[in-house]
Amino acid sequence: MTDADEMANNNGRRMLWVIVSGLGIMMTAGAVAGYLAAHEAQGGGALGTAGIVTLCGFAAIITGLAFAIWRNVSKMKASNEGLTRREKLNRNMIYGFVLVGGAIGLLLTFYDTSVGNLDTGALPIFSDNPVPPVMALMLVFFWAVIMPIIAWFWHKRAIDEQEASAYRDGGYYAAYAFLIGAPMWWILWRGGFAPEPDGVAIFMLFASIWTAVWLWKKYR
Amino acid sequence: MKNQLKVLRAMRSWSQADLGEHLDVSRQAVNAIETGKYDPSLPLAFKISRLFALPIEEIFDDEFEGAHND
Repeated sequence: MTDADEMANNNGRRMLWVIVSGLGIMMTAGAVAGYLAAHEAQGGGALGTAGIVTLCGFAAIITGLAFAIWRNVSKMKASNEGLTRREKLNRNMIYGFVLVGGAIGLLLTFYDTSVGNLDTGALPIFSDNPVPPVMALMLVFFWAVIMPIIAWFWHKRAIDEQEASAYRDGGYYAAYAFLIGAPMWWILWRGGFAPEPDGVAIFMLFASIWTAVWLWKKYR
Repeated sequence: MKNQLKVLRAMRSWSQADLGEHLDVSRQAVNAIETGKYDPSLPLAFKISRLFALPIEEIFDDEFEGAHND
Protein backbone atom coordinates (compact mmCIF):
# COMPACT_ATOMS: atom_id res chain seq x y z
CA MET A 1 0.00 0.00 0.00
CA THR A 2 1.40 3.40 -0.98
CA ASP A 3 1.30 6.54 1.19
CA ALA A 4 -1.39 7.98 -1.07
CA ASP A 5 -3.49 4.83 -0.56
CA GLU A 6 -3.14 5.07 3.22
CA MET A 7 -4.09 8.75 3.18
CA ALA A 8 -7.12 8.06 0.98
CA ASN A 9 -8.24 5.19 3.21
CA ASN A 10 -8.45 7.56 6.19
CA ASN A 11 -10.79 9.93 4.32
CA GLY A 12 -13.90 8.30 5.76
CA ARG A 13 -12.92 9.27 9.29
CA ARG A 14 -11.98 12.77 8.11
CA MET A 15 -15.29 13.22 6.32
CA LEU A 16 -17.12 12.10 9.46
CA TRP A 17 -15.22 14.73 11.46
CA VAL A 18 -16.15 17.41 8.90
CA ILE A 19 -19.85 16.46 9.05
CA VAL A 20 -19.92 16.24 12.86
CA SER A 21 -18.02 19.55 13.18
CA GLY A 22 -20.37 21.24 10.69
CA LEU A 23 -23.42 20.03 12.63
CA GLY A 24 -21.73 21.16 15.85
CA ILE A 25 -21.23 24.67 14.45
CA MET A 26 -24.88 24.85 13.35
CA MET A 27 -26.11 23.67 16.76
CA THR A 28 -23.78 26.05 18.63
CA ALA A 29 -24.91 28.93 16.40
CA GLY A 30 -28.50 27.95 17.26
CA ALA A 31 -27.60 27.97 20.96
CA VAL A 32 -26.12 31.49 20.58
CA ALA A 33 -29.29 32.69 18.83
CA GLY A 34 -31.44 31.10 21.55
CA TYR A 35 -29.32 32.61 24.32
CA LEU A 36 -29.54 36.09 22.80
CA ALA A 37 -33.29 35.71 22.19
CA ALA A 38 -33.78 34.70 25.85
CA HIS A 39 -31.69 37.69 26.91
CA GLU A 40 -33.86 40.01 24.81
CA ALA A 41 -37.03 38.41 26.22
CA GLN A 42 -35.81 39.21 29.74
CA GLY A 43 -35.50 42.89 28.94
CA GLY A 44 -32.27 43.01 26.92
CA GLY A 45 -29.61 45.59 27.71
CA ALA A 46 -25.88 45.06 28.23
CA LEU A 47 -24.66 41.51 28.85
CA GLY A 48 -23.17 40.84 32.28
CA THR A 49 -19.89 39.04 32.98
CA ALA A 50 -21.66 35.66 32.94
CA GLY A 51 -23.21 36.47 29.56
CA ILE A 52 -19.88 37.51 28.05
CA VAL A 53 -18.16 34.39 29.40
CA THR A 54 -20.97 32.21 27.99
CA LEU A 55 -20.72 33.82 24.55
CA CYS A 56 -16.91 33.51 24.63
CA GLY A 57 -17.38 29.80 25.39
CA PHE A 58 -19.70 29.42 22.40
CA ALA A 59 -17.20 31.34 20.22
CA ALA A 60 -14.37 29.05 21.37
CA ILE A 61 -16.43 25.96 20.50
CA ILE A 62 -17.22 27.34 17.02
CA THR A 63 -13.56 28.29 16.45
CA GLY A 64 -12.38 24.82 17.51
CA LEU A 65 -14.89 23.08 15.25
CA ALA A 66 -14.00 25.38 12.32
CA PHE A 67 -10.33 24.52 12.86
CA ALA A 68 -11.19 20.79 12.84
CA ILE A 69 -13.02 21.23 9.52
CA TRP A 70 -10.12 23.17 7.97
CA ARG A 71 -7.55 20.60 9.17
CA ASN A 72 -9.50 17.58 7.91
CA VAL A 73 -10.40 19.19 4.58
CA SER A 74 -6.70 20.08 4.05
CA LYS A 75 -5.70 16.45 4.64
CA MET A 76 -8.45 15.19 2.33
CA LYS A 77 -7.29 17.58 -0.39
CA ALA A 78 -3.71 16.36 0.01
CA SER A 79 -4.83 12.73 -0.44
CA ASN A 80 -6.84 13.54 -3.56
CA GLU A 81 -3.81 13.67 -5.86
CA GLY A 82 -4.56 10.26 -7.34
CA LEU A 83 -8.31 10.38 -7.76
CA THR A 84 -9.74 8.08 -10.41
CA ARG A 85 -12.02 9.53 -13.12
CA ARG A 86 -15.15 8.34 -11.33
CA GLU A 87 -13.96 9.71 -7.98
CA LYS A 88 -13.32 13.16 -9.53
CA LEU A 89 -16.81 13.24 -11.04
CA ASN A 90 -18.32 11.97 -7.76
CA ARG A 91 -16.42 14.57 -5.71
CA ASN A 92 -17.40 17.42 -8.05
CA MET A 93 -21.06 16.40 -7.96
CA ILE A 94 -21.05 16.19 -4.14
CA TYR A 95 -19.43 19.66 -3.97
CA GLY A 96 -22.22 20.83 -6.28
CA PHE A 97 -24.90 19.30 -4.00
CA VAL A 98 -23.35 21.00 -0.96
CA LEU A 99 -23.19 24.38 -2.76
CA VAL A 100 -26.80 24.16 -3.99
CA GLY A 101 -28.00 22.94 -0.57
CA GLY A 102 -26.13 25.80 1.09
CA ALA A 103 -27.58 28.31 -1.39
CA ILE A 104 -31.13 27.07 -0.68
CA GLY A 105 -30.46 27.23 3.08
CA LEU A 106 -29.13 30.79 2.74
CA LEU A 107 -32.10 31.79 0.58
CA LEU A 108 -34.54 30.52 3.21
CA THR A 109 -32.53 32.10 6.03
CA PHE A 110 -32.36 35.49 4.26
CA TYR A 111 -36.08 35.32 3.56
CA ASP A 112 -36.91 34.41 7.18
CA THR A 113 -34.58 37.17 8.42
CA SER A 114 -36.07 39.75 6.03
CA VAL A 115 -39.61 39.06 7.30
CA GLY A 116 -38.50 38.74 10.94
CA ASN A 117 -39.22 35.03 11.34
CA LEU A 118 -35.99 34.06 13.09
CA ASP A 119 -37.06 35.07 16.58
CA THR A 120 -37.62 31.41 17.46
CA GLY A 121 -33.95 30.59 16.80
CA ALA A 122 -35.02 27.57 14.72
CA LEU A 123 -32.85 26.35 11.84
CA PRO A 124 -34.41 27.17 8.43
CA ILE A 125 -34.83 23.45 7.66
CA PHE A 126 -37.07 23.04 10.72
CA SER A 127 -39.01 26.25 10.08
CA ASP A 128 -42.76 26.04 9.49
CA ASN A 129 -43.00 29.71 8.53
CA PRO A 130 -44.85 30.47 5.27
CA VAL A 131 -42.84 31.30 2.14
CA PRO A 132 -44.04 33.09 -1.04
CA PRO A 133 -45.79 30.70 -3.51
CA VAL A 134 -43.20 31.46 -6.25
CA MET A 135 -40.33 30.47 -3.94
CA ALA A 136 -42.20 27.32 -2.87
CA LEU A 137 -42.84 26.30 -6.51
CA MET A 138 -39.19 26.94 -7.49
CA LEU A 139 -37.93 24.76 -4.61
CA VAL A 140 -40.45 22.01 -5.41
CA PHE A 141 -39.40 22.11 -9.09
CA PHE A 142 -35.76 21.71 -8.05
CA TRP A 143 -36.54 18.89 -5.61
CA ALA A 144 -38.99 16.96 -7.82
CA VAL A 145 -37.59 17.54 -11.34
CA ILE A 146 -33.93 18.58 -11.22
CA MET A 147 -32.86 16.36 -8.30
CA PRO A 148 -34.05 13.05 -9.85
CA ILE A 149 -32.15 13.86 -13.08
CA ILE A 150 -28.95 14.64 -11.15
CA ALA A 151 -29.47 11.53 -8.98
CA TRP A 152 -29.91 9.33 -12.08
CA PHE A 153 -26.70 10.73 -13.60
CA TRP A 154 -24.86 10.26 -10.27
CA HIS A 155 -25.94 6.61 -10.02
CA LYS A 156 -25.11 5.85 -13.66
CA ARG A 157 -21.83 7.73 -14.16
CA ALA A 158 -20.25 8.89 -10.91
CA ILE A 159 -20.44 6.05 -8.38
CA ASP A 160 -19.09 2.53 -8.72
CA GLU A 161 -20.66 -0.75 -7.59
CA GLN A 162 -19.09 -0.68 -4.12
CA GLU A 163 -20.58 2.74 -3.38
CA ALA A 164 -23.91 1.69 -4.95
CA SER A 165 -23.93 -1.29 -2.56
CA ALA A 166 -23.12 0.98 0.40
CA TYR A 167 -25.91 3.35 -0.68
CA ARG A 168 -28.42 0.48 -0.95
CA ASP A 169 -27.46 -0.75 2.52
CA GLY A 170 -28.04 2.78 3.84
CA GLY A 171 -31.50 2.70 2.25
CA TYR A 172 -32.33 -0.63 3.93
CA TYR A 173 -31.31 0.61 7.38
CA ALA A 174 -33.20 3.90 6.89
CA ALA A 175 -36.31 2.13 5.58
CA TYR A 176 -36.42 -0.25 8.56
CA ALA A 177 -35.80 2.62 10.98
CA PHE A 178 -38.74 4.44 9.38
CA LEU A 179 -41.04 1.40 9.26
CA ILE A 180 -40.35 0.62 12.93
CA GLY A 181 -39.78 4.11 14.31
CA ALA A 182 -42.61 6.14 12.73
CA PRO A 183 -45.53 3.90 13.83
CA MET A 184 -43.88 3.51 17.26
CA TRP A 185 -43.74 7.29 17.71
CA TRP A 186 -47.37 7.57 16.50
CA ILE A 187 -48.59 4.92 18.98
CA LEU A 188 -46.53 6.43 21.83
CA TRP A 189 -48.14 9.81 21.02
CA ARG A 190 -51.62 8.26 21.07
CA GLY A 191 -50.79 6.65 24.40
CA GLY A 192 -49.72 10.00 25.79
CA PHE A 193 -46.05 9.06 26.16
CA ALA A 194 -44.55 11.27 23.41
CA PRO A 195 -45.16 14.59 21.67
CA GLU A 196 -47.03 14.60 18.35
CA PRO A 197 -44.98 13.02 15.50
CA ASP A 198 -43.04 15.64 13.58
CA GLY A 199 -42.76 15.02 9.82
CA VAL A 200 -39.61 17.11 9.36
CA ALA A 201 -37.86 15.37 12.28
CA ILE A 202 -38.81 11.96 10.84
CA PHE A 203 -37.51 13.00 7.40
CA MET A 204 -34.25 14.30 8.88
CA LEU A 205 -33.73 11.10 10.91
CA PHE A 206 -34.46 8.97 7.82
CA ALA A 207 -31.96 10.96 5.71
CA SER A 208 -29.35 11.02 8.50
CA ILE A 209 -29.47 7.23 9.06
CA TRP A 210 -29.24 6.62 5.30
CA THR A 211 -26.25 8.98 4.94
CA ALA A 212 -24.45 7.65 8.04
CA VAL A 213 -24.73 4.00 6.93
CA TRP A 214 -23.80 4.89 3.33
CA LEU A 215 -20.58 6.65 4.43
CA TRP A 216 -19.77 3.96 7.02
CA LYS A 217 -20.13 1.16 4.44
CA LYS A 218 -18.20 3.13 1.83
CA TYR A 219 -15.20 4.04 3.97
CA ARG A 220 -15.07 1.44 6.77
CA MET B 1 -13.76 -13.17 0.39
CA LYS B 2 -9.98 -13.70 0.49
CA ASN B 3 -8.15 -12.71 -2.67
CA GLN B 4 -4.75 -12.06 -4.25
CA LEU B 5 -5.56 -8.58 -5.52
CA LYS B 6 -3.11 -6.76 -3.27
CA VAL B 7 -0.27 -9.13 -4.26
CA LEU B 8 -1.08 -8.90 -7.96
CA ARG B 9 -1.24 -5.11 -7.72
CA ALA B 10 2.08 -4.95 -5.85
CA MET B 11 3.73 -7.12 -8.53
CA ARG B 12 2.91 -4.38 -11.03
CA SER B 13 3.85 -1.57 -8.60
CA TRP B 14 0.37 -0.11 -8.96
CA SER B 15 -1.27 2.06 -6.34
CA GLN B 16 -4.93 1.47 -5.46
CA ALA B 17 -5.72 4.51 -7.62
CA ASP B 18 -3.88 2.94 -10.60
CA LEU B 19 -5.85 -0.29 -10.26
CA GLY B 20 -9.05 1.69 -9.72
CA GLU B 21 -8.40 3.54 -12.99
CA HIS B 22 -7.89 0.25 -14.87
CA LEU B 23 -11.12 -1.16 -13.45
CA ASP B 24 -13.07 2.13 -13.59
CA VAL B 25 -13.82 2.03 -9.86
CA SER B 26 -12.79 4.18 -6.89
CA ARG B 27 -9.82 3.63 -4.55
CA GLN B 28 -12.30 2.83 -1.79
CA ALA B 29 -13.69 0.00 -3.93
CA VAL B 30 -10.21 -1.43 -4.55
CA ASN B 31 -9.40 -1.17 -0.84
CA ALA B 32 -12.72 -2.77 0.18
CA ILE B 33 -12.15 -5.71 -2.20
CA GLU B 34 -8.52 -6.17 -1.10
CA THR B 35 -9.45 -6.24 2.56
CA GLY B 36 -12.37 -8.62 1.99
CA LYS B 37 -14.98 -6.08 3.09
CA TYR B 38 -16.70 -6.09 -0.28
CA ASP B 39 -17.14 -8.94 -2.76
CA PRO B 40 -17.08 -7.70 -6.37
CA SER B 41 -19.93 -8.44 -8.76
CA LEU B 42 -19.41 -11.16 -11.35
CA PRO B 43 -18.79 -8.61 -14.17
CA LEU B 44 -16.13 -6.83 -12.07
CA ALA B 45 -14.55 -10.17 -11.08
CA PHE B 46 -14.27 -11.05 -14.80
CA LYS B 47 -12.76 -7.62 -15.49
CA ILE B 48 -10.14 -8.24 -12.78
CA SER B 49 -9.51 -11.71 -14.17
CA ARG B 50 -8.92 -10.34 -17.69
CA LEU B 51 -6.72 -7.50 -16.41
CA PHE B 52 -4.35 -9.90 -14.63
CA ALA B 53 -4.78 -12.69 -17.20
CA LEU B 54 -5.64 -15.21 -14.49
CA PRO B 55 -8.73 -17.36 -13.86
CA ILE B 56 -11.15 -15.95 -11.28
CA GLU B 57 -10.54 -18.87 -8.89
CA GLU B 58 -6.82 -18.09 -8.81
CA ILE B 59 -7.54 -14.53 -7.69
CA PHE B 60 -10.49 -15.14 -5.36
CA ASP B 61 -10.78 -17.87 -2.73
CA ASP B 62 -14.25 -18.65 -1.34
CA GLU B 63 -12.63 -21.12 1.14
CA PHE B 64 -14.98 -23.89 0.02
CA GLU B 65 -13.49 -27.24 1.04
CA GLY B 66 -16.39 -29.62 0.38
CA ALA B 67 -16.45 -32.40 -2.22
CA HIS B 68 -17.44 -31.56 -5.80
CA ASN B 69 -20.61 -33.15 -7.18
CA ASP B 70 -18.99 -34.60 -10.31
